[in-house]
Amino acid sequence: MPKSYDAIIIGGGHNGLVNAAYLARAGKKVLVLERRYVLGGAAVTEEIIPGFKFSVCSYVVSLLRPEIIRDLDLPRHGLEILPLDGTFTPMPNGDHLWRVNDHAKTRRELVRHSRRDAEAYDEFGKQMLQMCRFVKPLLGMVPPDPTSLNPAGLKKLMFLAKRFQSLAAEDKYNLVQLMTMSAADFLDQWFETDVLKATMSASGIIGTFLGVRSPGTAYVLLHHYMGEIDGAFRAWGFSRGGTGAISNAIADAAREAGAEIRTEAPVAQITMRAGRATGVVLQSGEEIQAKIVSSSVDPNLTFLKMMDPRALPDEFVEEVRRYKYRGSSGKVNLALDALPDFKCLPGPGRHLRGAISISPSVEYMERAYDQAKYGEFSHHPYIDIVIPSLTDPSVAPPGKHVMSCFVQYAPYKLKNGDWPARRENFGDAVINTIAEFAPNLKNIIIGRQVLTPYDIEEQIGLTEGNIFQGELSLEQLFFLRPVAGWARYRTPVDNLYMCGSATHPGGGIMGAPGRLAAVEILKDMGAR
Amino acid sequence: MGSHKVVIIGAGHNGLVAAFYLARAGFKPLVLEARPVVGGAATTEEFHPEFRASVLDGVSGPIAPAIAKDMQLERHGAQWLDPKCRVFAPSPDGRALILHSSTYRTLSRIAAFSRNDSSKYLELANILAGAQKFISGLLTMPPPEIDRPTSADIWNLLGAGRAFRKLGKRNMQRLLRWGPMAVADFVAEFFETELLRAVIAARGIFGAAAGPWSAGTTALLLLRVAAGGLPDGGPIYVRGGMGALSGAMAAAAKQAGAEIRTSAEVARILIKDGAVTGVALKSGEEISATAVVSAADPKRTFLKLIEPVHLAPSFLGQMQHYRCQGTVARILFALDGLPAFTALKNERDENAALTGRIHIGPEIDYLERAFDDSKYGNFSRAPFLEATIPSLLDPSLAPNGKHVMSVHMQYAPYKINACHPARPEERREPARASGERCEGPAVSSAASPSNWPSQRDALADAVIKTLAEYAPDFPSKIIAARVITPLDLEETYGLTGGHISHGELALDQLFTMRPLIGWARYSTPIRGLFLCGPGTHPGAGLTAASALNASRQIIKSLRK
Repeated sequence: MPKSYDAIIIGGGHNGLVNAAYLARAGKKVLVLERRYVLGGAAVTEEIIPGFKFSVCSYVVSLLRPEIIRDLDLPRHGLEILPLDGTFTPMPNGDHLWRVNDHAKTRRELVRHSRRDAEAYDEFGKQMLQMCRFVKPLLGMVPPDPTSLNPAGLKKLMFLAKRFQSLAAEDKYNLVQLMTMSAADFLDQWFETDVLKATMSASGIIGTFLGVRSPGTAYVLLHHYMGEIDGAFRAWGFSRGGTGAISNAIADAAREAGAEIRTEAPVAQITMRAGRATGVVLQSGEEIQAKIVSSSVDPNLTFLKMMDPRALPDEFVEEVRRYKYRGSSGKVNLALDALPDFKCLPGPGRHLRGAISISPSVEYMERAYDQAKYGEFSHHPYIDIVIPSLTDPSVAPPGKHVMSCFVQYAPYKLKNGDWPARRENFGDAVINTIAEFAPNLKNIIIGRQVLTPYDIEEQIGLTEGNIFQGELSLEQLFFLRPVAGWARYRTPVDNLYMCGSATHPGGGIMGAPGRLAAVEILKDMGAR
Repeated sequence: MGSHKVVIIGAGHNGLVAAFYLARAGFKPLVLEARPVVGGAATTEEFHPEFRASVLDGVSGPIAPAIAKDMQLERHGAQWLDPKCRVFAPSPDGRALILHSSTYRTLSRIAAFSRNDSSKYLELANILAGAQKFISGLLTMPPPEIDRPTSADIWNLLGAGRAFRKLGKRNMQRLLRWGPMAVADFVAEFFETELLRAVIAARGIFGAAAGPWSAGTTALLLLRVAAGGLPDGGPIYVRGGMGALSGAMAAAAKQAGAEIRTSAEVARILIKDGAVTGVALKSGEEISATAVVSAADPKRTFLKLIEPVHLAPSFLGQMQHYRCQGTVARILFALDGLPAFTALKNERDENAALTGRIHIGPEIDYLERAFDDSKYGNFSRAPFLEATIPSLLDPSLAPNGKHVMSVHMQYAPYKINACHPARPEERREPARASGERCEGPAVSSAASPSNWPSQRDALADAVIKTLAEYAPDFPSKIIAARVITPLDLEETYGLTGGHISHGELALDQLFTMRPLIGWARYSTPIRGLFLCGPGTHPGAGLTAASALNASRQIIKSLRK
């Protein structure tokens, strides 16, 4: 007689865990099944090199929904966010751009580059705040389906239309632009300093296979602004002990609420009877039954690997196959013997405690994209560097450091060769690029971990290595995510739900999909 | 009512169409054209003794059928010529993809490449035919007022909504998904043949500062489809060239009661207390009017013809940000005879094939790379070309046995660099992060329209070289060539930024956002001043659909 639960959650990433925590708190008997030995999915801390704790994939936090932190009381479960102060952009001409949270300081720095931009910068911040005020509610909302005549959906649409109408003309103009324009074009309207535009536009391309001049990237820019604009607490930061600590805190909350969590329990198959999900079979052959199955892994794994597609409507399968992943980023984690020394701002200063952005010019960013478009990783990529060990000594041995480099672009499919063969060339390209700004880097590397989209797929289980479980492109957002008509966490199979980043509102350590899915699941369970 | 004095600025297609409808409604519009001829960029010019062609031509059309009917253009001398083919697309390996006017033959042609694609083509054609009603519904309605939708708006939207629902849930969802998509993804969803993908995708980048991988280009494809109803639009030929069509329009407008003055360039729109009072000509002459309708592009209208003091700073700021930099050059060739395309050597009737759009751009990547060059201020070394040989159907355009070829070339950015960089992949070592790019100075600083005179010949060479790859004897056939750069389009034809569509066709500048959100209904912040050019919805191509919508709105408000 196989064990039976109210709900099985496939995948112990942060969304799966959030989903589990909310269901458990509602008194459901919940089981989380994680394939790996460690929880967190892409939000995981691992000691790849003895003594050095890498936030292997996701490395900063900001978007984690406040209601989740509140509801699950995460600080009590060990969540501690340490501030990440500012962004430092070294420039090839020996100059640099260094923005910090200290408004006056940043202003002086900007004036150094352009008085006009210094003025515009404040206004820009205000405008983005406005935009976020408008868009935020969408993140906490189950998307309506504009193609259905269901009154609740129509009411939501009217609500959105009314909200849009109520905006000031200026805001309407900005919002429309943010929803449609390219990050670079959008910023061109505000600023003249190339390096400033390049660095800001970077948040418009993260996790997408788009360039800073591709329409649609302005929205992703906004998506990443959500975190930045709120109070200090939710400004971008590290979590003490690495991003894995966030997952552990959520797991803790879930366990406390009564959820059962099993690691090294890979799901082989979702079992069905009469068109309803009835449970799962593990790769070990063990069978587990549940009233509902909630999958936090991406649609490709859920519907094409863990299920027999023939059990699903053809049109749905077609759309699932069509859903775009296109991993575009890689990760290089370094164990360092000392701190990197930047030519343009030597010595170990505060500038190393923030994000270090390799984005010297908009053209540099766009060319990095061009190279990837044709199936080659960028030889001079955009790199977002952080050194968490400066803020959180617990992640590295005394005096030593951990350096995390997020790299774009690295296409999932290479035109020449394959990733296992070229992984280290990629790593070298990244290190060479940084070394052009910090020449001492090569001599202080103790060990390195290079993650290509291929590795992210293999190790973390993200299809094509897309860190957001599917591109954040306009046609894959809101009521179109992941599949038009199925953006409400339900699937064509009764009792089977989606709760991962492939559902609205999408990627980042936000937890919103897990929470919203739980709300919908509980609605359905209550209805029965 | 009726006898308002209405002045229309510009006698291009949109100006003439607006003039016709206003005249027919009882107003006596006076059309003022800066150039000695009517037609704007749609004129037939003798660019070489005895060789005549249009600067903008049928690859940009077609004219909205309703207009042709209302204006009885055929009675006024416009004679449409039907090409036997819509598209002829040679591939480097010497194969030819030919899309005939007959869908049946087209399908068999495609089947020669892929049976699967042939059936997919039919599927797509059917979906688009279904969508056409909905889309053209959107194109022929004035964009709704966002703040205070009028009852008419509600009706229009409901109408559009009904047409939308008629598509069925699946196609509704498809359209919603397609709109913002990159056209490269769109064609990949249907076809496996690279050449066919490129031919269809080209409709989504035509005239735009975008490549097939740019998001939103599918929306542009759908816009063009709405005009033609087919995934691939054929060229439009008028006997005597586009100028003849412009002539017919002028005749129709005159007969309806409009007055047209050429060589009468408007220097200023006169405004008093926030309302137009007339216009001042370059000659100094002043003409008073209670309404001024500008067929000139929005930037010229608001930033050149109006004193800034009359406009709110925020409006001016937004107008300055209105993107209006062309990416198109036109080249007119006088040919000693027809070039022999390698891909047509086994073709029974090769002349028939050449009556279609000659599409040069065999792969999606080819088109994207062509776009890449323009992002950094260079014209495409291997450009995307749409060529037509109108003299095949209309011998009057060239001496006996000789021909004219008119070429639409992308990409030729308005702001062009002074030097010829190699592409990154052509360089021995990849570009360095330290900025040591062979490009030299960054685009922003170096690229300028003033470099065009020095680039003109290089551009012609690139086009000739490209065509020669498909028709080796092409260079030997050239008697003369006239290159029209974006700078020429601006200086000679008054198109700001040399943009043939009076402003970038991008998601943020379409429908209720064209030209600006809040001002998409042909009226302007100045009382009595209206827009009727392609800088207003729907705006795509040489269709004069903007003027059709505009004149409806203008007539309404003038009668108030």
